[in-house]
Amino acid sequence: MSEVRTDMPAEELLDEAEPRAESRAAIASPLRLMWWKFKRHRVALWSGYFLLFAYLVMATAGFWAPSTPNERSRQLYAPPQWVKIIGPEGELRRPFVYGYEMTRDLNTLRPVYTRDESQIYPIELFVRGAEYKLLGLIPWDVHLFGVSEGYIYLAGTDSFGRDMFTRLVYGARITLSVGLVSVMLSLVLGLIIGGVSGLYGGWVDSVTQRVIEAIIAIPTIPLWLGLAAAVPRDWPAVYQYFAILVVLSLISWTSTARVARGRFLALREQDFVTAARVYGAGTGRIIRKHLVPNIMSYVIVTITLAIPTIIIGETALSFLGVGLRAPTVSWGVLLQEAQKIQVIQFYPWLWIGPALCVIVIVLAFNFVGDGARDAADPFSK
Amino acid sequence: MSDAILKVRDLKKHFGGKKPLFGKAPRAVRAVDGIDFDLRRGETLGLVGESGCGKTTLGRCIVRAHDPTGGEVIYDDPDRGPVDLAALSRKELQPYRLEVQMIFQDPIGSLNPRMTLLEIIGEPMIVNGLATGAEVKKRVGDLLVRVGLRREHMNRYPHAFSGGQRQRIGIARALALNPKVIVCDEPVSALDVSVQAQILNLLQDLQRDGDLTFLFIAHDLGVVEYVCNRVAVMYVGRIVELAETDDLFARPLHPYSEALLSAVPVPDPEVEGHPHLLQGDVANAVNLPPGCHFHPRCVYCVARCRTEDPELREVNGRKVRCHRAEELDLEGVAQEEAVHG
Repeated sequence: MSEVRTDMPAEELLDEAEPRAESRAAIASPLRLMWWKFKRHRVALWSGYFLLFAYLVMATAGFWAPSTPNERSRQLYAPPQWVKIIGPEGELRRPFVYGYEMTRDLNTLRPVYTRDESQIYPIELFVRGAEYKLLGLIPWDVHLFGVSEGYIYLAGTDSFGRDMFTRLVYGARITLSVGLVSVMLSLVLGLIIGGVSGLYGGWVDSVTQRVIEAIIAIPTIPLWLGLAAAVPRDWPAVYQYFAILVVLSLISWTSTARVARGRFLALREQDFVTAARVYGAGTGRIIRKHLVPNIMSYVIVTITLAIPTIIIGETALSFLGVGLRAPTVSWGVLLQEAQKIQVIQFYPWLWIGPALCVIVIVLAFNFVGDGARDAADPFSK
Repeated sequence: MSDAILKVRDLKKHFGGKKPLFGKAPRAVRAVDGIDFDLRRGETLGLVGESGCGKTTLGRCIVRAHDPTGGEVIYDDPDRGPVDLAALSRKELQPYRLEVQMIFQDPIGSLNPRMTLLEIIGEPMIVNGLATGAEVKKRVGDLLVRVGLRREHMNRYPHAFSGGQRQRIGIARALALNPKVIVCDEPVSALDVSVQAQILNLLQDLQRDGDLTFLFIAHDLGVVEYVCNRVAVMYVGRIVELAETDDLFARPLHPYSEALLSAVPVPDPEVEGHPHLLQGDVANAVNLPPGCHFHPRCVYCVARCRTEDPELREVNGRKVRCHRAEELDLEGVAQEEAVHG
């Protein structure tokens, strides 16, 4: 037996020392490999691009909206205008919208809008209009599109004649940022609590896990309702915003904590952690260099799947009237309108817009989460 | 083959057995239950036994990846004199971390997938303040060459390497601190046979050049015969026999050693195998049998074995834990030795 082994030729030793893959995969970091795998998931990739765009719009809302969210007009409950390129005589024109002619239904007294083909408002790009603050800092008055005379309501108007399209864009600012900030908060909470639970084990772990189970056992909406109702009604909008953030993340940290705990438990038994302990690395260093980098892919997956829950949570709370309130504009606040039966029946654009926005964003996050999960899965090929 | 660099005395590691919040304390798993041996400077001591007999736990107690429940691990430091590693606090232990290192069994799990080779092999030096900056890079490059890899590989991640190459990386990491003693925990059992030989040869070369002492944990007796000077046979947390490799293979003194040896396949179709297959299962480390722990499976068992626990004692210059060591004439693998010449 031993003779066979001692006679191993030296060339084979050299061969074995050759790198297995000399391509770029050999020097790629695991996160880069994950990105390559993610890119192959087309739907997830395009959802990802879409979300990046959505967050860009969110950050620079004033530029994309033709108006400002609280600017009123005389056109109350006006339906969405269609962008046209064929004029009234069938001629090709640059994109424009028709004006409205308003009459009242004599039975119900509600406004009825008909297209006024004599009023043509050409759409212009980079038009000057209402002043706003870009990124909340720089005063500016250039809008991506708009009309220099007349009006443009791509998504209709509400009961005060405010442009719904503008309000949707501004609503994204609140709803999307709530999702992101709240998830970051719950990520920090979850990582710390889950990490302590997984690393120390013992009774600390037992207590933490029982607390998490207790929190999960409570139905989410009533708990949110209860916590949100405790927020004083007379607080300024900014305070309420942060209060809602905290309420939402107080519950969602539990899933992150469980993921973190499970991963920490598995990782701390890995040989490379033992090796680090044997050569004398301190606990802090082991957590920083060995544990946290190895759970990052799981964390990315958890947060992309947690953001939609948070967005839906904010929407639900605001819809029910205990979350954010007007004049703050969020998709949930906009959806409050859908509580009125007339709105549902006669002015569907008031709720279809925000509902569609929520659906599209939540779907996009779920697709990205799916793609990320597949990419992070070490067992998938 | 001179003085002992590491003396292990009555080392114990029990798992569990702590009283929970409610109810009675369960009985502890006595994974390592009173181990004594000397590791001589420059030798390779094999540690063999079935799965679950406590080999790995013993190795991990010696490098203090586990804190032993009891006993001593006395390291004879040439400069600072003998010191009991098992009794030191984590902080006091730090300087001795340099002296005793470990090589792991699993070539995948033992390397952090998020670190490049430079980080993996360089971290021990940085943690222990042996080198910084460019010096780390140079040393890591040297180590890679020493273990048969190339300097250019240091910016790659472990996933770019095969099992054998990863094991080389693990060895380079253990060597990074220039240790005197390396505990090799089944370093080749996860590898292909052809690659096993390369790794074993590498370890032997390193030992020759670097004044290293190995504690070589294995379950493959072929590997043990090839690399070890002496062999300790473990059975449920205890050493049952400790002897020079050749002596043990030629004529084991303990019935368990005989059974292990008879299971070694002989690569000769003419030789008829006649293994002494063991009856029953390995003893339960929670609930050990009275008397000799091996007696329920021992074909040479007599009344005394069932009641009286044998001590590890000297017989013909070898150590054995059996009442009948002198009277039994057990079979080794002498035939194979003859074939080898």
